[in-house]
Amino acid sequence: MTNIASGNSPSDFDIGKQYYATQLGSYDEMYADEEKARPHWAKFFASIERMGVEELERRRHETQRLLRENGVTYNVYGNDQRLTKPWRLDPIPLLISSEEWPIIESGLQQRAGLLDLILKDLYGGQTLIKKGLLPIELVFSHEGFLYPCVGAIKNQQRQLTIYSANLARGPDGRMWVIDDRTQAPSGFGYVLENRTVMTRVLPDIFRDTQVQRLSGFFKAFRQSLNEIAPHNKENPRVVILTPGPLNETYFEHAYLSSYFGYTLVQGSDLMVRDGRVWLKSLEGLQPIDVILRRVDDSFCDPLELLVNSKLGVAGLLEAVRRSQVAVANPLGSSILENPGLLAFLPRLARYFLNEDLILPSVATWWCGQRHEREFVLQNLQHMVVKPISHSHNRIVFGAHLSTSELDELRAQIKAKPYCFVAQEQVSFSTVPAFVDQHVEPRNAVLRNFVVANGSDYIVMPGGLTRVARQKDDFTVSNQAGGISKDTWILTEKPEKSTAIWTATQRNYAVDVVEPLTSRAADNLFWVGRHLERLDVGVRLLQAVLTKLDETEEFKDEVDAECLVLLLRATTQVTGTFPGFFGVSEQLYKKPQAELLALAKNTRQLGTIASNIHSFYQAASSVRDLWSQDIWRYIDNIQRRWYLKVLNKRINITQLPKNLDDLMTNIVAFTGLTAENMRHESGWLMLDSGRRLERSLSLIALIRAMLSPNLTDVLQQQMLEALLICTDSLGIYQRRYRAVIQLPRILELLLQDANHPRSLVYQLQQLSEHIGALPRENRNSQMSAEERLLLKAYTDVRLLDMGMLVNPENIGLTGELEQFLANLALSLKQISELIAQAYFSHSQVPQPIKTVYTEDEL
Amino acid sequence: MKFQITHNTIYDYSQSVRLCQNEARLNPRDFWRQRCLSSHIEVTPTAADFQERVDFFGNRVAYFAIQQAHTRLVVSATSEVLVLPTATTPAVISQMPWEQVQTLLQDLTSPPPHPGNGLYDLLDAKQYLIDSPMVKVTPELADYAHASFLPGCPLNDVVADLMHRIHKDFVYDPAFTTIATPLSDVLAHRRGVCQDFAHLAIGCLRAYGIAARYVSGYIETMTEPGKPRLVGADASHAWFAVFVPDMGWLEFDPTNNSQPYDQHITVAWGRDYSDVTPLKGIAFGGGQHLLTVSVDVMRLE
Repeated sequence: MTNIASGNSPSDFDIGKQYYATQLGSYDEMYADEEKARPHWAKFFASIERMGVEELERRRHETQRLLRENGVTYNVYGNDQRLTKPWRLDPIPLLISSEEWPIIESGLQQRAGLLDLILKDLYGGQTLIKKGLLPIELVFSHEGFLYPCVGAIKNQQRQLTIYSANLARGPDGRMWVIDDRTQAPSGFGYVLENRTVMTRVLPDIFRDTQVQRLSGFFKAFRQSLNEIAPHNKENPRVVILTPGPLNETYFEHAYLSSYFGYTLVQGSDLMVRDGRVWLKSLEGLQPIDVILRRVDDSFCDPLELLVNSKLGVAGLLEAVRRSQVAVANPLGSSILENPGLLAFLPRLARYFLNEDLILPSVATWWCGQRHEREFVLQNLQHMVVKPISHSHNRIVFGAHLSTSELDELRAQIKAKPYCFVAQEQVSFSTVPAFVDQHVEPRNAVLRNFVVANGSDYIVMPGGLTRVARQKDDFTVSNQAGGISKDTWILTEKPEKSTAIWTATQRNYAVDVVEPLTSRAADNLFWVGRHLERLDVGVRLLQAVLTKLDETEEFKDEVDAECLVLLLRATTQVTGTFPGFFGVSEQLYKKPQAELLALAKNTRQLGTIASNIHSFYQAASSVRDLWSQDIWRYIDNIQRRWYLKVLNKRINITQLPKNLDDLMTNIVAFTGLTAENMRHESGWLMLDSGRRLERSLSLIALIRAMLSPNLTDVLQQQMLEALLICTDSLGIYQRRYRAVIQLPRILELLLQDANHPRSLVYQLQQLSEHIGALPRENRNSQMSAEERLLLKAYTDVRLLDMGMLVNPENIGLTGELEQFLANLALSLKQISELIAQAYFSHSQVPQPIKTVYTEDEL
Repeated sequence: MKFQITHNTIYDYSQSVRLCQNEARLNPRDFWRQRCLSSHIEVTPTAADFQERVDFFGNRVAYFAIQQAHTRLVVSATSEVLVLPTATTPAVISQMPWEQVQTLLQDLTSPPPHPGNGLYDLLDAKQYLIDSPMVKVTPELADYAHASFLPGCPLNDVVADLMHRIHKDFVYDPAFTTIATPLSDVLAHRRGVCQDFAHLAIGCLRAYGIAARYVSGYIETMTEPGKPRLVGADASHAWFAVFVPDMGWLEFDPTNNSQPYDQHITVAWGRDYSDVTPLKGIAFGGGQHLLTVSVDVMRLE
């Protein structure tokens, strides 16, 4: 249908329900199959019509701003820009009436219960196979059936802890289950974030509409994980196992970790000893009771499952077998995602429950059966064909295939029929979505979440609704650019919100400090180091650009000489050789291109771009440890540089502004971490990294900028630049009120214990931090790094400036130069010792080559 | 026939290993033609954690963990096994044509089988028709197998012919393959070791809808009269078995072109090598490692 309100300027008419009604095709959520909008939708639309299109657009904008600020993102695979995508949320929710919801709710409870029984059977006695209720090939040829897990299923009331299903409404208005998610269902963190944003963006409408709260579900979720713990059921130690920052929904892993207070871990953070799972933390090994996994089950144990997996924990399955740890969902549960099962569910529902399915599945034919196969082969052009294991080929729409392609597909099915299912091509109902300032119908899929509760299941009264970006499209995934919606389950009676903490737990939570994993400590240390490298690089570049301007403006010989020295120092300190140590004289006359490369080149170590990347990478792998505010600045540091410098054709004159902006974000980050983080292990590691790197940079700056054969006037300029690069010019002027003198400057930069940029200050801080870190087997003896630090600190304090400065006061003496060189070596040694003492646990295990038989004839 | 088997595996590491977890399938299982009289796995340094269980296929598995720093790991498995000679004379061998076996396996759906009847064994055998991690059926495998699948031929004769052809067509070459060599390379170059030949035969049979499984174990090697037996020269061995309705699993050794009689000692079976790997492990640290394996099969009586 055409847009009857055509024209460029949007009008309030475009968001009204009458306009919307002209756009409809198939079954629609608001209109069902009638002329009149359903009452709950009519009420909602009355509110947004009153609001007007401009206001709605403003609120949509606010939605995106809040999501951006809260750092809600997801990763798009194959995105070489290393940028996460912002999460998109439509301000119009999906409304589900209080009459309809109980049907969906009971349908999901029934289905979760049924799948749980199937799971227990397949990894237990396999009576379903023995009785001929499930074909053996359907189960055993699915990649989710993990042989080593048979018999490892524990005697819990419910094995399937978390269940999720994608629902869509067919043309007849009935809700269908498109697929079941049992491996490691994702999305409920996003639901929570969507709801938080919606209540802020549409507070008026949300208040007037009685919407069921989500907090009860999250409370039940915590309870459920406590229940499956083999030990400490009252207060088990729970971790979230993530594949890492590159995973699509890493944001959610970090978000749930902060929300529940569960430590976020990667496989290498855990180890199995004495048949138990332990967390490798700075405080030593901590026993783990429950693992909420976001890693696919076959990757969870390289010993018994996929041998080359770097994401798992060797021996985990054995620990599960001995009931030393609980994993949610259990290893092997992805067998339930086998689409072939859909064809057998009605039969199994009658067998186990003596019930019919409340929510039907999409019509599915498993090709392993003769009649079904014949039917599929004859009707292939109307069907959607899927391999039962999703890692294999992709989903094929028969309607899109040519005759020869259809023949090829038939041959594939005939060769291994048990590996394929065919499904009816279904259409999804449409929901109103606010797109380009119009409210238009979009096909929608609703993802629901269910969690075990004793012998029952609790359904989240809400869910993640996703709509396709384009009209008449059925692809709603985030990877394909789909947009999310909040899901409002309406209720007759208003609800009180419940806290996710139960009363007893509140009494418990006196002093629970989440342990810091060795991997997190390692990353935090490097966040600090990369940040300081960035800091010195930015300051140097700023000084160079200022000098470049002066040179061009005043055409002064000394300025030009000073510029050359500064350029060389920049290369030296950032380590971006050959840089300005290149042979061409021309480079000094026209340094612009090389300077831009220093800002933009991601491939060379030491550049601003590459330090930003390393900083961001280290910071995002401990994303759970940052507050929302801190994260915003981490994100700003990376994103703005990418958007405004890397991805743009900029010239050198635009660089200073961007460097200033970057510096502002660096300073904000540093300030926030100092003010908003508890000064315990994590912060100590972060700041130790900074202090260590700042010491090294300072030494490098002094050595690079003070060469011995300078003229007096040139040295004056270099000293001034040195003070600028160390942010010490103002302090110097206030303290000495005199002309710039080498000995005074060295005193300030090396020995002034009250100057936070001085070397001695860094060493003192570092020493205090290391002393405050937890240490296994700490005794009265100083550790090796503590000794080295004390020595470095004392040596610097004992330096006699008078002895170390030339009579002419030009450049460093050989003695001081040697002293600084040795100090730098010593600092690098300290860094290695810290790594050995604290990060060696983060080592990744490797498979031992298996014995391959060499037989004899 | 009674044998004593000693199977030693030594790992020498270039760097210290702080922790390792291992799984060993080195204890021979019992079945109708074999009794394991005793078996023992000794690990040096001592395993802090050692636990035995039975896996999905009924094989015996030992899980063990070394939790102290070490640069050498020695795993020594010793067992005494009684092998009962089987009389597989032509008279008792099922003459069912392979096509009929194929149909039986394929059409097994109803009535539901239950333990104790032949249908149950047939159902159990069906799992060995499906692609497994190291054996995937391809048209090339079917092509190679084709010549053995003569119409109306009894399954036993088909398999015997296939074994004979593999023995004749393929060169035994330990230098050619590693554990990662895919079956397609073995087929293309006509070379391999006992695992490859077993995998090859299994793939050929599955391509025709015949259930076949992988058997790992040992074989007694004969020495020339007058010369002393070479201790440690023997190695672990592999062959395959095929399911024949009403009879059960018949074994074939394509490496030696023979049907196991009284010189094959079975340790474990599964869909392919990956189900029965004798020893595997994951180590923290270790750097490079050197592997030494020796097997000694001694006839006791």
